[in-house]
Formats: sequence, C-alpha cells, structure tokens
Amino acid sequence: MQLRHLFILLSCTSALTFASPHYQTCASCHGAQGEGNAAMQAPALAGQSATYLARQLNYFKSGIRGGDQSDTLAQQMRAMAGILPSEAAVQSVSLFLANLPRTQPAVTISGDADKGYKLYNMKCGACHGPNGQGNEALKAPALAGVGDAYLARQFTLFKTGARGSHPEDKPGRQMKMMSTHLSNDDLRDVLAYINTIGR
Amino acid sequence: MSNKLFAVLISAGLLVGGFWLGQHLATNSPVALVGDADRYTSNAAARITAGTALDASVGASGTGTTIDVFNGESIQAAVKRASSGDIIRVYPGTYQETVYIDKDDIWLTGVIQRGHWPILEGNHTLNDAILYSGNNITVENFRITHYKGNAIMGQAGNNFLIRNNHVIDTGVYGIFPQLGKNGLIERNILSGIEDAAIYVGMCDNIHVNNNEVFENVAGIEIENTRHAIVENNKVYNNTGGILAFITPGLPIKTTYDVIIRNNFISDNNHVNFGAPGSIVAGVPSGSGIVVMAADQVTIEGNIITNNKNVGIVITDHQSFANISLDPESDPNSDQVAILNNVMFNNGYQPINEISALKLVNLIKNDVDIVNVGTSADSCILDPGKYVTLGLDDYGRCNFSDTHGTVSYLLPEPAEPHPFTDTEKGKMAYYGICTGCHAYNVRMIGPPVQIIQALYMDNPEGLADYIAKPIKKREDYPEMPAQNYLSPELRLAVAKFMLGVDNQGQFNDPALNQNP
Repeated sequence: MQLRHLFILLSCTSALTFASPHYQTCASCHGAQGEGNAAMQAPALAGQSATYLARQLNYFKSGIRGGDQSDTLAQQMRAMAGILPSEAAVQSVSLFLANLPRTQPAVTISGDADKGYKLYNMKCGACHGPNGQGNEALKAPALAGVGDAYLARQFTLFKTGARGSHPEDKPGRQMKMMSTHLSNDDLRDVLAYINTIGR
Repeated sequence: MSNKLFAVLISAGLLVGGFWLGQHLATNSPVALVGDADRYTSNAAARITAGTALDASVGASGTGTTIDVFNGESIQAAVKRASSGDIIRVYPGTYQETVYIDKDDIWLTGVIQRGHWPILEGNHTLNDAILYSGNNITVENFRITHYKGNAIMGQAGNNFLIRNNHVIDTGVYGIFPQLGKNGLIERNILSGIEDAAIYVGMCDNIHVNNNEVFENVAGIEIENTRHAIVENNKVYNNTGGILAFITPGLPIKTTYDVIIRNNFISDNNHVNFGAPGSIVAGVPSGSGIVVMAADQVTIEGNIITNNKNVGIVITDHQSFANISLDPESDPNSDQVAILNNVMFNNGYQPINEISALKLVNLIKNDVDIVNVGTSADSCILDPGKYVTLGLDDYGRCNFSDTHGTVSYLLPEPAEPHPFTDTEKGKMAYYGICTGCHAYNVRMIGPPVQIIQALYMDNPEGLADYIAKPIKKREDYPEMPAQNYLSPELRLAVAKFMLGVDNQGQFNDPALNQNP
C-alpha cells in the first residue's frame, strides 16, 4: 500500500513539474487537464496537435484569428493569448496540452451517425484522418475529443467567413472552402459520427 | 450504430413484407411482360454481326517496321524510336520499367519462347507497367507483376486491344482502360489486385471476353460505361465477381446497355482487401454479380455458384456502403433483365442486411438474387428457378436471349476523342485523374473537392505534387507519380482540376477563393 501511495504521489508531482507554468491562466477555462468547459464554451484541448495549437495561439496573438467582430469568443481568446510572453511560452503550453490524454466531452448534438460516417469519409477524413485524429502533414487538427459544440460553432464561423478569411491563414482558408460542401443537417450527422469515435 | 441500422432495416422490411403479402393474397393477376421483344435482335448499338472477328476494328495496324527489344534493353527506348504503324517485339527477359506510349498505332507484343515470357517487373517500387494515351494500341503477351498502381492503363485512347497478358499483384487496377471507345480485352489472366482486376472506366463499345480473374477485390468492373459485353470469363474467388456500377462524382454520369453472359462466376468469397473507406471496400465478400445504379443490364447464361453472400444483387446508391449521391446520376438500377442462368448454393452466409430482409420476408432458403431499392421496368425470365428477394416488382422479360447482339464493338475504328490542344488539361483530367479521384466521393484518392480546397489558388503547387507525390494519408494508397507527363500538361491538368465542377465540363472561377 505504501508503495502505491508513493507512486501516486510521484505521478502527481511529476505531472505538476511537467505542466507548463504558462498553462495556469488557460486552465481556468480549458480545465486543468485540458478537458474544456462547456459552460465557458471552451473546447477540450487535451491531445490536440501541438503544431496546430501553437499555430492558433500565434494567430490569436497576431490577430489573424479573433479579429472578426462577430466572434466574441475568439476576441476573448485573442486577449488571453496575448498574455503568453514568448514563442517559447506558446510552444510550452502547446506541447503540454498535446501530451495530455484525449478527453470525451459531453455530447450535445444528435444526428444520424451512419449517414455522418459516409459524409465524413467523403468530405473530412482525407485531411482529418480516418478516426478524426488529425494529420500533421496536412495541417489538419484532431476532431475527436474536441467536443461537438465547439466544432459546430467553428464550422459555422468558417461558413460565414468569420474564420478562414485572413490571407495569411492558409489552412483556415482551405477549411472555409470545404465548409461550403456540407449543409447544417449534414454537419449534425457528421458530428454525431465524430461523437461515436473512441466511445 | 449497427443495432440502429438493423432496426431501420427491420421496420423497412416489415413494410416490404406487408406489401408483398398484400400483393400476393389479393390477386392472381398475370405478370406484366417487360421490355421490347426485339431489344437484342435489332439493337442499334450492335453494329457487327456473327462471323466478324472481334478484333477487326481494334488494335494496331502493324503496317510499319518491326523493332526488336531483347533482355537488358529498354522497351521505352523502343517506343521513343517507333513511329505509328510499327510493331515492337519484346523478347523473353525481365524488364524493370514503366512504358508510356503517347503515340497512335503502336503494336507492343511479347515474344514467348519455349514457355519463357517477357516479364515486366515493378519490384514493388514502380507504379505503372504500361500506360498509353494513343489510339489503336495493342498490348499482348506480357507477364506483369509487382507494380503498385496499374498493370495496363489506357488514358483516353480509343480502339485498344489488350490480350493474352498475365497480371499478378499489380496494385490498384490490373487492366484499366479509362475513357476509351471501341476496345477489346480478351484472354488475360489477373490476380491479386486490390481494386478491380479488369476495370473498364468511362468507356463506350467494349468487349471483355475469355479472361480469367481470381483473388482480386473486384473481378471485372464496368463503370460509368455504355454498350459493353462481358462474356465467357472465368471469375472466381474474388470479393465481388462482376460489377456494373455508376460511380458518383465522375464526369461521365451513366452506365447502361451492358450484357453479362456465359461467364463462370463462382466462389467469390475472398476477404475484401480494398483500402478501407474506398468504394470497393464496400463490396461484401461473397457477391457474384453486383449491379449498382446501372441501367439496361442483362444477365444471361452464366453459371453462378457458391457465392456465399448472394449470386446477384441489384442495388442503388442509397443502399450501398461508402457511397454518397451524385445529383446528376440516377441512383437506381432500372431495366435490369435476368434471363436464363444456372445458379445454386449461393447466399449461404449473407451479410446482416440481407439476413434481416430474409427474416421479415419469411425466407428461410439461401437466396440467389436480391434486389434492394427501386428498380423500374426490370424483369426476370423464369423466377421459379431461383430463390429471390425483393424482386416482386419485376415483370417477365419479353425477350429470352441476347443472341441477336454479338458485340458492341464498332465495324470501323472510332475517331480520336475530340479534345483540342487547348483542352489538354481536360483530357488529362478525364483520362487520368478521374481513374482515382471522383468529384465528391472517395474512390481511390481524395475527392476533387478536397484537392480544390487544399490547392485553391496554387496550381503550380499541385503540378509539382503530381510529378513527385509524397504519401500523407495513412488510409489512402500512395499516389503514383505522373512525371511521364510533360510539365506543361501537368500544369494544365492542375489548373483544370482546381476549377472543375461535378460535370467536369467548365471552369468556374467562383470555385477559386483568391485572397
């Protein structure tokens, strides 16, 4: 028993030691383990690609993302990203989150998951991977474990052009173009499918 | 997910079952005769008659000089030297190369000496063995193995003749004429292909006969193709035997007027080893003949045995796995005719969806023929010979055989495709890209929609990529390099692809999203 306690104590210590100190500010919305917070409309970030996270943080910092007046959440995030003092801090937070185990945020959207699988396979999987795990080579983030509410909101932002319109956000512009190929009903079905991944 | 699907099928099946009972208990009316009695005796598309050699209007003329290639020499070098009309004789040996024929009327023939063949060896590193974009090309007497892409691929070449080849383990497609008119594929042996062994794509006036195909995912596939006959082939131990399809999202939107006759189609129970998520990965193991969305398919004189899922399945785009709809293609298989065939011991281990339909239709016996979805004006000549499911709307065929139609091959060679020089990009898109990339459907490679989003205003980037592709997707096969095309053509096809719509007919600048 004592040995087990010691082990638990050690794991806790090491988790704290390896946690990026810069993440403490982020944790108030995105959760101590990057699990997100539905009430705060903060997506889960645990297990997300580090390069994707770093890219988005830098986009927020420079105003490439979060500059659109219609997206107040992104504007908030832009202000928060500004707190990270350096590229090293951005990298540290991103790596910390990427190494956390992926979470399963609560399901908020219902749809036809079978139809969603077909649509995902035709429209999304070529970049976001066969299990929504993302693809570094194509700069495509993971979709599994992020949470359907956040995904639905971002998809709408891409559709309206509030996200993915900045000339320097090439992956965003790519996603904006793809967003025209799914209707709102289709999107619900795709999200229903993504919600089944890993469950 | 599967439970839900099952429930949906059960309820749909109950509906069908109730309808069936109602139909059969209410009346004993005579079954309607369906189809014109002279459908095959005066078929306008059938232009040659019995007694004409099938190869009369296809292949090379052989009117030029003969160039010999011996072991250690290059076939491609001989092709470069050759002029239209020339015969290239390849002697036994092992040739590790890709041969690209971009001129008309070339006769590429292997010389077999004391049982020794010329072997094209891809070593699992080369993509394609033989590619041709010329018209009137003959390819014969080669043993082709270990390529990653295609054994023999035609790219918009008409009047082709592909015969007597032995193709083993050559990747995605074995013999694959794309966008060809008037072509004959005969006496080839193919095995170990992860999509279709013989894939006739977007072609017209085709004859496929006396081939042996086994241990492939799909044996013979007639896709987005019109006026084709598949006869006298031996098709066994594939995942699916013979397929007549419309693949959604290709620029040619129809498949019709297909005769599948006098084939041996047995034991097509091979495990499906197609790339997961691709269309062929949706073909259930144990399927003898699959008709999906194709019209006027007539099935006659085949021996169809020991296919564990089903002997013949007729289905539509809605019901097939891994397919999304194309608004410009009719998703149903209409005017299908099942004439006399010999069928037994099929359907002894059907997929869950068919089991569920059997359950609600109170069918206990193994099923030979299944129709799923709407199939208008279809007929079956003698339904009492088979165990059928979902064929209640089929009438009796008003014709009993296809003897009057010998072949859809043309009496004279077809003219080259009418692409002008400025349309080179379109020609390459139709003839090459759409072999693997459909507009909004996952075929072999990513859908064109996705490529458009990735490269939007960067055709140069796409042109560079196709010359030297890098594998980026774990669940997609590696793209073969298209570096045999000139840089100008690569850029032209990249520009066309980025602007093309679902019909593949015009460039729409609005599709591009320039900053």
